[in-house]
Amino acid sequence: MHYLLTYRSLTYAQRAARILERAGVTGTLSRVPKDAAKRGCAYCVTVAPRHRDRALAVLRGAGLSPERVLLRHDDGTWEAVSP
Amino acid sequence: MIYLDSAATSFQKPAAVAYAMSRALRTMSSPGRGGYESAMAAADTLLDCRLALADLFCVKDPERVVFTSSATHGLNIAIRSLVRPGDRVVISGYEHNAVWRPLHGIGARVDVAASPLFDPDAALGAFRRKLPGAAAAVCTQVSNVFGFILPVDRIAAACREQGVPLIVDASQGAGGLGLDFDRLGCAFAAMPGHKGLLGPQGTGVLLCGTALPAPYMYGGTGSVSDQAEMPDFLPDRLEPGTHNVPGIAGLLEGVRWVSRKTPAALLAHERELLAALSELLAGDGRVRLFAAREPSCQAGVLSVQFRGMDCEDAAAHLAARDVAVRSGLHCAPLAHRTAGTQREGTVRFSFSPFNTLREVRDAAAAVKEMLA
Repeated sequence: MHYLLTYRSLTYAQRAARILERAGVTGTLSRVPKDAAKRGCAYCVTVAPRHRDRALAVLRGAGLSPERVLLRHDDGTWEAVSP
Repeated sequence: MIYLDSAATSFQKPAAVAYAMSRALRTMSSPGRGGYESAMAAADTLLDCRLALADLFCVKDPERVVFTSSATHGLNIAIRSLVRPGDRVVISGYEHNAVWRPLHGIGARVDVAASPLFDPDAALGAFRRKLPGAAAAVCTQVSNVFGFILPVDRIAAACREQGVPLIVDASQGAGGLGLDFDRLGCAFAAMPGHKGLLGPQGTGVLLCGTALPAPYMYGGTGSVSDQAEMPDFLPDRLEPGTHNVPGIAGLLEGVRWVSRKTPAALLAHERELLAALSELLAGDGRVRLFAAREPSCQAGVLSVQFRGMDCEDAAAHLAARDVAVRSGLHCAPLAHRTAGTQREGTVRFSFSPFNTLREVRDAAAAVKEMLA
């Protein structure tokens, strides 16, 4: 299980991933799964559940809050959660 | 060859530029088209280049650094975004055809704020008189023909006072003159990658203000793909299609080199060369130099006329002596009209960080040989 912090723009997602890295939060940049992307291609930073709150706080502080936060379960299903 | 045509394209580049381009061709595909390693490497290079440019030009958000194919491309985006048919647009008397022609093509009323050469106060005064009620203004940072540095900071302040959006053509200034983009508060600044930023041909940059520009080209962006409209966010809105990744990789190295050396130091070097050439050619009655009395008004571009000799013939003579210069109107007839050189044109010597005093002395000797 992990969280996907999603962005419509690759550039924003890249910046988010770099800011998290600088803050010591491990996150992986990738594309949003097709069935979870609301409007076609989108990008996300994947973080472990234990990093979620800190990641969101860091990103909020940098003015880079994600468009959505998705919880992806181990079986591939997902659900939108409140940031 | 003694290359003194860097106002057209810088020919000598830092070695890292070609290396980065070759590496990009071997290791990078297209950003935003996949999550695999070569796509992500390309995406990283683009972001690194945006960040380097944002840092150099004081742009808070790297998303507002948009890649174009040239300064002309960027100026067309900016002008199409702001100007409608019939709008009155104020431009300096030193604009390039990359500004004049798009405005003419749209059907704008072009209002030229003409002012004498190397007189920044007069340039500001001309803008101040014409700005009220204008739909937009365009001002070059440096005349590509004469090297005249226009007072863009003060013109931007006048535009802000009047609520007129300003487009800065930084084609000749970028890499030598500072440009504090966010502080200027202008709508756009366009520049090539292949001149003072020492990147390859086919690269350009458009810095965007905080207002969302109109789309210019339409196509795939690798984002919000299921909607017919272009994305409502930068840089995607202005960057449809496949990026020039090798070009941008080269540009990144050029920008890094310029940042390390500092634009101020590079400009000082070019001014030293300009002063040396002026001194070597001065005093010959057949040579008319367009050199500013106040050196701070001029960047590393020197126009010259040779009395009794056509400028194209002079450039051809110099080319035969392995000195590369530009002649004619330099795609800027307005600048020649303003300076009164439209009939004859000029021969332009322009410098780069890689030129040396020895090259300048040899070029001056070639001129004297030509005139003998």
